[in-house]
Amino acid sequence: MPYIELHFRAAGRVVLLALISMLAAVDCVSAQQSIAEREAARVETIRRISPSVVCVMAPNGEGGGSGVLISADGYAISNYHVTSGSGSFMKCGLSNGKLYDGVIVGIDPTGDVALIQLQGRTDFEFARPGDSDQVRVGDEVMALGNPFLLASDFTPTVTYGIVSGVRRYQYPANTFLEYTDCIQIDASINPGNSGGPLFDIQGRWIGINGRASFEKRGRVNSGAAYAISVNQVQLFIEHLKCGLIVDHGVPEFTVETVDGEVVVSQVAEVSEAWRRGLRPRAQIVSFAGRVVTSANDFQNVLGIFPEGTRLPLSWRDKDGQHNATIRLRPLHAFQKAPELPDERQQEPDGHPETPEESQPGKEAPDKLPESLTRLFVERDGFCNYYFNEVQQQRLLNPLRERVGSLGKAGSGWKIGLAASGAAPVLSGELTLGSAAAGLKLNNVPFLQNADDPLPSEEPPQLPGFLTAMLQLRRLLSGDKAAFNEQVAMGRTWHLPLAKNVDVLLTREGARTCRWYFADGAPLPVGVDVEYGQGIDEARLLFQDWADRGGAVFPGRVGMVSGEKEVLTWLTVGDISVK
Amino acid sequence: MNMFVQILILLLSACQAMAVNASADAPSLSQVVDMRQPVIVKLFGAGAGSLDSYGTGVLVSKEGHVLTVWNHLVSTGFLTAVTADGRRFQVETVGTSRDQDVALLKLKADGSETFPFIDLTQAKDPEVGSTIYAFSNMFRVAAGNEPVSVVHGVIAARVPLEAKQGRWTFPVKSPVWLIDAITNNSGAAGGLLTDANGAPVGLIGREIRHAASRTWVNYAVPLTTLASVVEALQTGQKVDSKRKDPAADVAMVSDQELTAKFGITMLPNVVERTPAYVDNIVAGSLAQTSGLQRSDLIVLVNDAVITSVSDFQQQLATYRSGQRVSLTVNREQELKLIELRIP
Repeated sequence: MPYIELHFRAAGRVVLLALISMLAAVDCVSAQQSIAEREAARVETIRRISPSVVCVMAPNGEGGGSGVLISADGYAISNYHVTSGSGSFMKCGLSNGKLYDGVIVGIDPTGDVALIQLQGRTDFEFARPGDSDQVRVGDEVMALGNPFLLASDFTPTVTYGIVSGVRRYQYPANTFLEYTDCIQIDASINPGNSGGPLFDIQGRWIGINGRASFEKRGRVNSGAAYAISVNQVQLFIEHLKCGLIVDHGVPEFTVETVDGEVVVSQVAEVSEAWRRGLRPRAQIVSFAGRVVTSANDFQNVLGIFPEGTRLPLSWRDKDGQHNATIRLRPLHAFQKAPELPDERQQEPDGHPETPEESQPGKEAPDKLPESLTRLFVERDGFCNYYFNEVQQQRLLNPLRERVGSLGKAGSGWKIGLAASGAAPVLSGELTLGSAAAGLKLNNVPFLQNADDPLPSEEPPQLPGFLTAMLQLRRLLSGDKAAFNEQVAMGRTWHLPLAKNVDVLLTREGARTCRWYFADGAPLPVGVDVEYGQGIDEARLLFQDWADRGGAVFPGRVGMVSGEKEVLTWLTVGDISVK
Repeated sequence: MNMFVQILILLLSACQAMAVNASADAPSLSQVVDMRQPVIVKLFGAGAGSLDSYGTGVLVSKEGHVLTVWNHLVSTGFLTAVTADGRRFQVETVGTSRDQDVALLKLKADGSETFPFIDLTQAKDPEVGSTIYAFSNMFRVAAGNEPVSVVHGVIAARVPLEAKQGRWTFPVKSPVWLIDAITNNSGAAGGLLTDANGAPVGLIGREIRHAASRTWVNYAVPLTTLASVVEALQTGQKVDSKRKDPAADVAMVSDQELTAKFGITMLPNVVERTPAYVDNIVAGSLAQTSGLQRSDLIVLVNDAVITSVSDFQQQLATYRSGQRVSLTVNREQELKLIELRIP
């Protein structure tokens, strides 16, 4: 204050008045500047993110929706209800005004997500995902896409709004197109926006706009639209890259909301949850690490995971709190892409007055070049088997190369085993042949045959171990026909490894194995083996792979077993191969 | 230093302090959302045809008074309210205002319970062009303890609204807020409009069209005009102006016709808004064969809300002989649908 007083005293009245008006002007200018700066930043953001936005059309140019590029090699996410109208191949327009061929890769009908791949470039610009769990009500958002197919040069339309709600649940149409844990926005969403990206104000991709509450005004914006969260999409991307009809899961028990608690109403008696001790009337505390207080909450958590994911579950009953993990079982197991329910049939998304010339690429699908048609292989249970083969080879070629480097493995392997730190102490000798596996464990012999293993023949301390070892031997044979069926299944969070792993599923008879590959290593870090209905799968971990006495074999084999899911490590000793 | 300069310096520094405070105190939208979500209640009741069975209300007293639009949800009864924390309450109607198109409800709670609420005396009238936020359970997106939807926009105008819904005319004569956010949605009526700082501004209106343009109007009734209305309703006072009986000019099916042709006798129409209870049914009459019973309360004729005996008689007069109408009646706390062919 003294300084200002001094200054003013010297300056006098006129100067002071001038100063005051200047200050006011500065204030005004800075406010305008900040608005101008915000606008400039927004314009710059839109310029940066627009190249990732895709206009998705059927090959004959009919219908259409939007999508978003997620990688330089042309993978793009859209809605299932958009791609289901365009068939296996589509035309994709980008903001540079160019049209690219696209092929369907994978679909998630339940979650209304589809993955396509744009062809012809390896340097596509793509969107960077944000963390949709951090999105809050009131955040500014921008929806980009091609509503009413307005832009014949594919420049995306931008609509702006705020987040109106998070973690919304929107019921399925029939049994699929269910929106769980989705983001509700008031940005204008109209026909043609479907499949397009939702960005936060920094330009991070946070969702896929796919649905709106349409009512008395018809199929136009009503101020309530819903975007599939990017975190859900991320959990499905690697599955979709495998060309699958990706399924969602069921926990094999049902819940209801009772007085602000999630209470179990029914549990299937052959389920894993039942074997872990979950019973009706128990209160679910958390699921997949998220506290749940309503049946909607529970459904919101369940809906964001693909089938086959193993998730932690906590519940309370009269005996106290319990923790376990359960694997989600298939919800639909679609063999074919399902037909859209009538009310979700893709209406001609175009504006009623859309002129004919805005329908590019009037090319009949049967006229497509071979370079494109070879990217699609039809097969029951798959969206596009071509991409599954690509992913199988990605996992299996390095394995076969690694195993084959030793030459043909002998027919009988003798392996010494000892449990480290287990009580009671376990030690034994494993004999692996092509027809059977034998184990002498603490001097008690067990014998399991390879063709038709019986759960009752498994050692009680290590249930499923022999069956799993027989399956491992098949995998390590490197033989292309080792299993009746093999499918690349995408990527999942592995418990107890607590890291992302790629999944290769193999089937042989009644045995289903999920082999887990991580960190680019050619040999698996674990396997879960289902070998009977109503019994726990054998869950094994592998460490320290090396050439040991003529075979490639892990130095340590871990096994998760028992109600408490305890992990026991077995150290592999001497190996001799005959 | 002369006095003038000193005063100016003081003023200047005070202004600067205020400016600094204003920017420091201006809440973010998430703060506004967190502040206002707890005062919104989700209303559930009876709907029929195109009328929804859900709506929104705003807590306006710590005792649990809830302000909402006086629409069919209130008229048909059976209302329950779900507060932001997910608790469900029975609701009683404290009072209604035809002129202001509002109803004041009260949550039936233990007397010691206090609720979060907005203080209507703090309501603001922002400038046209100001940012507003609209809170409502449109489309019933939120269930249980889930927070209601928030949409954003600006105030487009403050003007008297001429709007209609069937034969019903929007009664509020004073100006209302027109906004550019879409609030003309199922279940949004009775929601809260706030300014950018979260100050209460308006009560979101119903789903009606503008009388001239026939477009759906997004409007809210200014809360500054409703504060005194709510206060009066709370103390049981009548708030509506005495009007000439509007029934006098309107065609209606007379008592005699109603008994002779339909076989219905209604409760004697002795007070201004006698509820539309059926007092008697003539044996073997059209009413009896259609399934109407004594003591039925008529709540809807097709989609039109019936709030009184004369309402019912007027509504029937709008149909021609031979037309089919459906009556929704409240019979022993259950809604029944009765089909009737106009004789």
